[in-house]
Amino acid sequence: MSAISLVISMLCWGIIALALTPVIWLLLMPYMKGWSRAERRATDLLHEMLTPEQLRQLLWHGYLEIPSSTEPQRIYRVPRSKGYVQVLENGHAIMRLCLQPVEFLPDADVVVLHKLMIEANEEVYLQKANKYLCHD
Amino acid sequence: MLRVMSRRGDDRLTWDDQKIQAGDPEAMAAIHEAERIFAQEKARGATAFRVEGGKTVERLDKFDATAEQIVMVPRVVGG
Repeated sequence: MSAISLVISMLCWGIIALALTPVIWLLLMPYMKGWSRAERRATDLLHEMLTPEQLRQLLWHGYLEIPSSTEPQRIYRVPRSKGYVQVLENGHAIMRLCLQPVEFLPDADVVVLHKLMIEANEEVYLQKANKYLCHD
Repeated sequence: MLRVMSRRGDDRLTWDDQKIQAGDPEAMAAIHEAERIFAQEKARGATAFRVEGGKTVERLDKFDATAEQIVMVPRVVGG
């Protein structure tokens, strides 16, 4: 009797595990993405391009702040993963920018892309981006 | 070094300045290949940046073999 109940119990646990596997996989998938070769290479480039302080900011706050070279009170806030770049002036969001590469890039590369474009030629960057004004 | 961003992360091509000055055929071939990739990516709308430690990032219109590092990003569009 106890052997039968043990087998039934094991079968039940097996069924539960099988049912949960896809759910667990779905939950872990966004994190697994970071293990891909492309993401690893992009992360290497990101580590080379950012200072330790900027990396910390990206990790803990989820964005990278790039000061404007033309407007001292302006900051560009680039998100860690895809999304709008926020433009802040004197600490207030004034605009959201949407600019994306025509081909897929790993998230870390997209951060580097924004950084290079803003730092090299802010004017061209602003011309290319679609702008959405923020109203308080 | 030339780094071209793509869905694979970034493809890298390196060359040795000293070997180029010495006329090493392998190094010369690498530089010609880098120049060809640069032109090809530019034709596709990519933007190139000269990235050097401690210096301001610069947009690069022509291939420069003396650059410490050139990073190319694909064409971008407003979303």
